[in-house]
Amino acid sequence: MKHDARAWLEKIHALDFDRTVKIMNVCGGHERSITHAGLRGVLPKWVELVPGPGCPVCVCPEEDVYQAMQLALQDKCILVAYGDMLRVPVNVKKGEIRTLAEAQAAGADVRPIASPLDARRIALDNPDRPVVFFAAGFETTTAPTAAMLAEGIPDNLSILLSGRLTWPAVAMLLGSFEPSPGSPGFDALVAPGHVSTVMGPEEWNFVVDRHEIPAAVAGFAPESLLASFYSVLRQLKSGERFLDNCYREVAHPGGNATARRMLAATMDVVDANWRGIGIIPDSGYALKPAYAQHDARLLFPDHTDPDRRRAGEMPPGCDCAKVVLGKIYPNQCRIYGKACTPRNPVGPCMVSDEGACRIWWAGGVRVTADA
Amino acid sequence: MDDTRILLAHGNGGRLMRELIADIFARHLANPLLDTDADAVTLPPLDGEVMLTTDGFTVQPLEFPGGNLGSLAVHGVVNDLAVAGADPRYLTLSALIEEGLEVDVLDRLIASFAAAARESGVAVVAGDTKVVRRGEGGGLYLSVAGIGVRRARAPLDITRIAPGDAVLVSGPVGDHGIAVMLAREQFGLSGELRSDSASVLPLTQAVRDLPGLRFMRDPTRGGLATVAHEIARACGHSVILEQRAVPLRPQVVSVCEMLGYDPYYLACEGRIVAVADTVATDKILARWQALPEGAGARIIGRIETGDSRVILDTDLGGRRILDELEDDPLPRIC
Repeated sequence: MKHDARAWLEKIHALDFDRTVKIMNVCGGHERSITHAGLRGVLPKWVELVPGPGCPVCVCPEEDVYQAMQLALQDKCILVAYGDMLRVPVNVKKGEIRTLAEAQAAGADVRPIASPLDARRIALDNPDRPVVFFAAGFETTTAPTAAMLAEGIPDNLSILLSGRLTWPAVAMLLGSFEPSPGSPGFDALVAPGHVSTVMGPEEWNFVVDRHEIPAAVAGFAPESLLASFYSVLRQLKSGERFLDNCYREVAHPGGNATARRMLAATMDVVDANWRGIGIIPDSGYALKPAYAQHDARLLFPDHTDPDRRRAGEMPPGCDCAKVVLGKIYPNQCRIYGKACTPRNPVGPCMVSDEGACRIWWAGGVRVTADA
Repeated sequence: MDDTRILLAHGNGGRLMRELIADIFARHLANPLLDTDADAVTLPPLDGEVMLTTDGFTVQPLEFPGGNLGSLAVHGVVNDLAVAGADPRYLTLSALIEEGLEVDVLDRLIASFAAAARESGVAVVAGDTKVVRRGEGGGLYLSVAGIGVRRARAPLDITRIAPGDAVLVSGPVGDHGIAVMLAREQFGLSGELRSDSASVLPLTQAVRDLPGLRFMRDPTRGGLATVAHEIARACGHSVILEQRAVPLRPQVVSVCEMLGYDPYYLACEGRIVAVADTVATDKILARWQALPEGAGARIIGRIETGDSRVILDTDLGGRRILDELEDDPLPRIC
């Protein structure tokens, strides 16, 4: 039966829990919809909504952003990247260029794009110049990059691939990998709608099967999110466990077969570094050897500088890593709203529209809290 | 020689430039006051206080469903004068043309500029053209100044806004922002949505005699939320908007849901946000709804005592702060 948002909300209120229930989401889009609809204010006090690893910009390794900047500055490439990546700071000394946007202001040719097709167009328009597409993102944005590769791309276009898979981060939180990091910090999971649309909802079965944690795939409208909250709460109450799908009209079993085929044809799944978190097994994409002539990591010098202070980590004082993992809420970060605001972001979570800190700040959360 | 595209020589002051001005600009914009050979124009005395505004225009693509750069530029300047309580009278037009622009495109844009000016009752009385090198301009930039005569009883003053006043909008918001985005054919989306680009003069003329009308503004860049912030900042109180009352077209809602855009920050080019006291509010609503341009007018919120913030009361009874826009909105990447 189809309910509207109000009806789902009433059903949730009719459930009675005498303890706090933490529901984690792993999608910046979910967090944004939750905040935009004011869902935290209308849910019962015993429900806590925890933003988890749902921001591809936030977890993109600092080394990759640094490498992209150096390609644009030193190797004189046209560097194209999703707009959000342009303002992500790297860890350099005061006064040095710390974002792609600053590199652009210093004369580097950096261009924000919204789709891989823009990268192809820019490469075709500039046949005598190398164009590097800094492709950071989750499955949803990596799939179009794979499709472009599979269809064939201009000779002068290469990819600095920084694609990540979502489920391994949740698996890490749940201790699927050894050594176990301890308590996962949540009682139920809302699985990401777009990722499930591409990869299939079945990817999330492990949450239910291996860890007996209720899970439901949700879309981005308040009624879909509320339906998923109700589903996981009902599961907690009844002791039943299954992966529910509250985004049936879009997320179909098996996902998007074409997109998955293109991903499998062009990319390998590899262990990958997540900024501030470390290596997570089988959590990243790398170009297959057949695409070596388009792999920016092979075509250009490696500008890694091991002498940079805290290279690869979050900036000093920044708790983004804990925010990304749902260990603390954004306003429990030591510098939230103080040293770190959207105008002067210190950590990546305050940069992106997918970042929990940015979403909370833009949603009006000005009160800080203790961790 | 390729005569279908603009060349640098079209800006060199010689024959090509003279012909371009005669064939396109003078032909479309002709009126008794426009003398393309003169350095300055003498205007007849105006029957009231003179209001002056200026604005620059750029849009990609140059043509989109519901309008183009030419009509957009006229509406932008006419609307700035209109919401300030003036009747627009004269425009000037500076065109910065990029080498390589198709002459046919330029012709269409200037013809559209002229048609929009005629509809709004304004004459173009001075102009200029420049040609910039290929790669140094987005096809065409237009810079337009407008002169009008104030007709509102008193100057419409944002600082007169007080708690208890109502906030109105003259029609659905976000159409222009989404129409232009769809016209770019990014994100694999396309659609039938037309820009709302239009003159709001009939709407302002219908209500500007009302003493309880405090303020009008056209929500262009930054959209409804940005105008609400201007109001909140100027009056020092909270602007409360009701999510269910803000008119939105279904296409705008679905594109926003898909890409994670927020309709309250999307540009409009033919709408007015007004603030009025309780007496004037019902009259404004009735007069607007009686006009074709204002059929979709609604009361969307109110001014409340409090911090200068913008708050959206959501459908579900939640509250959300609409923060000031920081960067250009970008589509979500997850």
